[in-house]
Amino acid sequence: MARACGRRACAAARAKDNENWRTKQPVMDKRLRNALKQLTAPDADLRRRAMEPFVRATFAIFIRHLHRYLGNEVECEDVLEDVYADIWEKPDHLRDIENEKQLLRQVYLYYMRKRLREVYRRMNRNLYLSQNDLQNLVAPDLGLCELTSQAELKQILHKMLGKLKARERKAIELWMQGMSNRAIASQLGTTVGAVKMLEFRTILKLRQMLKDYSREYGEED
Amino acid sequence: MSNTNREIQELLADYAGALRDGCLPSFLKSLTREEAKRVHESRDFWEATEVVRLMNGAGFGDRMVTPDVGLFISRVDAGIASRLKKAGASTRSRTRNRNRVSLQ
Repeated sequence: MARACGRRACAAARAKDNENWRTKQPVMDKRLRNALKQLTAPDADLRRRAMEPFVRATFAIFIRHLHRYLGNEVECEDVLEDVYADIWEKPDHLRDIENEKQLLRQVYLYYMRKRLREVYRRMNRNLYLSQNDLQNLVAPDLGLCELTSQAELKQILHKMLGKLKARERKAIELWMQGMSNRAIASQLGTTVGAVKMLEFRTILKLRQMLKDYSREYGEED
Repeated sequence: MSNTNREIQELLADYAGALRDGCLPSFLKSLTREEAKRVHESRDFWEATEVVRLMNGAGFGDRMVTPDVGLFISRVDAGIASRLKKAGASTRSRTRNRNRVSLQ
């Protein structure tokens, strides 16, 4: 009886948590909402004037997102410059945006992906990787939690790292501090090959945890 | 990345390192035919890359925020101006061509 009550309380708490997550979607900034309204206007000059507040409100969000795929500051800025010009030219996909997550989704799917694909297209002639694989590596479909904000993502990863074994957690934390595999190996007192294997297994473990998290919190990216 | 016959876990570690350090092209160029095939066939590799991207974003995304957004805005505006100019030039040349055809 007591166990059933406990289970029910647990389920209720999880449902409440889930509801909180849904309602906690970041509300759009007023300036950003106004800029978006002007950005979708038919007049090109009005759209051009609206670019400044739009860029100011979205630069940090977009550049952080791009960094996940490129990891290079100069390339990220170059790509983003073209993305903004594309948005100015054809803003049709940005109508009726309700929140930041939806905005990021639309921008990634309709503007960023196209530009990301072009970054390494010229290189492909000399590569053994097929065009399709190259595209999947550089500009993939949206995966698990890929639209999650920076702060939320940090929280989720922190929570998940806490569930790992001490050695696994250490390897990932050191990697995220920017250490090379050789340095991590010397810290853990093992070989570089063993570190790579440990990282691979831990990353797959983290992926399973993210999958469970997404299922539990109903995140559909 | 001197090893030319890397196992999938080594390939993932090298991809993660290249992405983190912003040198993805050198990783792509380092792939041999066999390694590219191995990557293509490994589901684990593709699943792991999702997490690597998230880790890259969470760990290093903050260093991306440029303090001077104003400078970047002027670059965007210059890009828009150049597109406007190009669009104007192409419509002008189209009109000129049409006029020439009608005169003939």
